[in-house]
Amino acid sequence: MVSTIQNTDVKQKDADRAVVVAVTSRAVFESGADGDDVYGMGVAFPLLQALQRVNERLLEENPAESLLFDVVLITTDSQQQQQSSRIISSTRHYGLEVSRFCFSSEEDFVESLQKNNVQLFLSTDRNEVPQASQKGVLSALLDRQEAPSEQLRVMFCGDAVNRPDAGPMPASRQAAQSFSAQLGEMRQRFGMSDSPLSIVLMTSHGGRESCGGALRTLRSRGVNVDEAYCLAGAPLSPILSVVRPHFLLSDGFSGLED
Amino acid sequence: KKMCEVKPNNSAPTEDIGAERDWAATKAFFDSLKTNKPRPPKPQYAVTIAVSSRTLFDMVAERKIYEDEGLEQYVAYQVEHENDPLMPGVAFPFVKALMNVNSRLRKLYPDSEELFDIVLMTNNHAQVGVRLINSINHYDLTIERFCMTGGKSPIGYLKAYMTNLYLSKDSEKVTEAIEEGIAAATMFMTQTETLSETQLRVAFDGDAVLFSDESEIIVKQHGLDTFFEHEKEFENKPLAQGPLKCFLEALGKLQRKFYAKNERMNCPIRTYLVTARSAASSGARVLKTLRSWGLEIDEALFLAGAPKGPLLQKIKPHIYFDDQMFHIQGANEMGTISAHVPYGIGQKYHKGKLIEQPAKKE
Repeated sequence: MVSTIQNTDVKQKDADRAVVVAVTSRAVFESGADGDDVYGMGVAFPLLQALQRVNERLLEENPAESLLFDVVLITTDSQQQQQSSRIISSTRHYGLEVSRFCFSSEEDFVESLQKNNVQLFLSTDRNEVPQASQKGVLSALLDRQEAPSEQLRVMFCGDAVNRPDAGPMPASRQAAQSFSAQLGEMRQRFGMSDSPLSIVLMTSHGGRESCGGALRTLRSRGVNVDEAYCLAGAPLSPILSVVRPHFLLSDGFSGLED
Repeated sequence: KKMCEVKPNNSAPTEDIGAERDWAATKAFFDSLKTNKPRPPKPQYAVTIAVSSRTLFDMVAERKIYEDEGLEQYVAYQVEHENDPLMPGVAFPFVKALMNVNSRLRKLYPDSEELFDIVLMTNNHAQVGVRLINSINHYDLTIERFCMTGGKSPIGYLKAYMTNLYLSKDSEKVTEAIEEGIAAATMFMTQTETLSETQLRVAFDGDAVLFSDESEIIVKQHGLDTFFEHEKEFENKPLAQGPLKCFLEALGKLQRKFYAKNERMNCPIRTYLVTARSAASSGARVLKTLRSWGLEIDEALFLAGAPKGPLLQKIKPHIYFDDQMFHIQGANEMGTISAHVPYGIGQKYHKGKLIEQPAKKE
């Protein structure tokens, strides 16, 4: 059973142009004491604020901008389902720019994502991410960050970008390409410096040609990468803790490459 | 007292699993290449040299565009010219010499990861990076790792890549690196003659470069006579280490790999100490300090205050490290590739006189 509630506090986005990002409420909110009306801020809270900031800056550049992030809060947890009013009131309490609330069961949450035309699904749950990915929804795992940046930082893992297209393109690869193209278009609304959004490319295994090739491939799709890190086998986690992306995208294969 | 702890001896077990998997994937990637390109060494065992884009390549004209016309025009210009290879920069001969040492090491020790690892560390925008990669391709340099930070400070990345030496044209970044305990130096453009292509030559000043500035403080504050007396009295007390000591140690470790294979006469690494100290008096303490550290230096040259320029001209190092701008300029004028180490009391003086320190930037 899937149900959707609109957030009347927030202006609804243009369904044709907006980039729909679904985040699980379990990632955004932390359950506090039962007596509290309002949830605490969860792992994804800084991310939501960063998405909101991008929207604010986009509208500053052009008040009639329709290419905006459209954030949907999806609740798959049966416990939280019973707390639907608390989720909605917490969202309003923090003034989060969430346009819709989706409630579904664990079994049909992917259906809910597809119904809502979700282009990117973000969750802290290691099972949900590959589930959605396998059904063709671009997904990424969220993790707690130590010092999350105010700037939205999206990382593309480039080792997969150059993979030759053998056979029909998986649905999630298509989803990744269209999301990255939209992100690229958004990025171009801002200058080189002082952008609320940074697009980061990282390759872990290949040498400089892998990274260089990925840079050019992304550019041909309208994505001008800001930062590039070519590791060629160097340990990943020290670099990630300096780069601090909000999430990583492996060109449609997130979660499956583990 | 632990020194030179740039590379970890043990990393956390969980990190190891992921890192080992990535390493295996990298090995497989390079093994599958048809070009026989050597794969980069495992960072934990390598001597990592991070070079900036402006030291690796000559980007003087492009820099001017950035300063006169701003970032957007600069990036647009670089993108427009990305298929024009850049000309070699001041660190280029050094990098070629490192590559030569690596190919000699690979022949003697085909399975060893103890090699030079050359990393491009730039805060250029990734779009400029395409031209940098194309230029690296043009000269067939073995640089497979890079960071293009798009404006952000490289300091965190230097640590993440376990950098042993950082070379840049930006003295602020270099100063920051030294303050974080990373050996670093600011390079200056010079017209140089052809350097050896078979032997890497690295020359070091002594005080405030290999050694701390403790003795230099005595010279500046109490004069030469006090300095001579002091050094004689404390001849057997090792000096404290300076910012480039660990780099000399890393070079020595690689040198010993050649000695172990009977290649001492033909060693492709040679080190020089070029100091204003005098062999007769203050020099002994320096040699004893090196011995106490278990470090060797191939040639120790005591100038007793004579100008360093002519001697360096004979040595023709691929790089010469000194803490005093006065010596850097002198060496540069005579065609020696010099690198300024902004460390110690020497930064507060120019030609023996105390400089007025500008108020620190907020």
